[in-house]
Amino acid sequence: MAVINLTDASVTINSVDLSDHVQSVTLNYDADQVEVTSMGDTSHKFTGGLYNVSVDVTMFQDFSASEVEASVFDLVGTTTTVLIKPTSGAVAADNPSYTIADTFLSNHQPVAGSVGDMSMVSLSFVGGTMTKATS
Amino acid sequence: MKYEVISGRLNREPGTTVDETELAGLNVDALIAGGHIAAVEKKKAAKAGDTTEEKEG
Repeated sequence: MAVINLTDASVTINSVDLSDHVQSVTLNYDADQVEVTSMGDTSHKFTGGLYNVSVDVTMFQDFSASEVEASVFDLVGTTTTVLIKPTSGAVAADNPSYTIADTFLSNHQPVAGSVGDMSMVSLSFVGGTMTKATS
Repeated sequence: MKYEVISGRLNREPGTTVDETELAGLNVDALIAGGHIAAVEKKKAAKAGDTTEEKEG
């Protein structure tokens, strides 16, 4: 067993590696459950429907050139590619890459927080197709 | 269209040139606005003997 302590996750948004600003990342992957229960059945039956992919990323805001704000602002309302790995190492069976293509970013809050808080950015990419690679 | 990598946050060394086909699936406008890539302008080479001039009206 090789459990992993998530300390070096790699997050690349629109080909821009912003990992060193990421506080948390969550990749959600599921399929719609479509009911196919029919007469004669005694319990519910389901089959798989459309897949749902989304990525939630929380980052420390940075307004410097080529950092978070500069990289994210123009993505709102468009689709792009997001790539996530458990660690920054090379892709391997124990460090798979998850590439989400054509994923949509609907909103971005450049400034958010209360007095004394770190300025954070929370992004939610939705939709697209995911590919997992192990080599 | 070709672009020069100008930031250190892409998976390519700054100064290298990428073709638009290598940027498929990415938001190129956002990469430019973010200061990550810049379009490589085509230099118009002066052609010997080329006397074509733009004329008005």
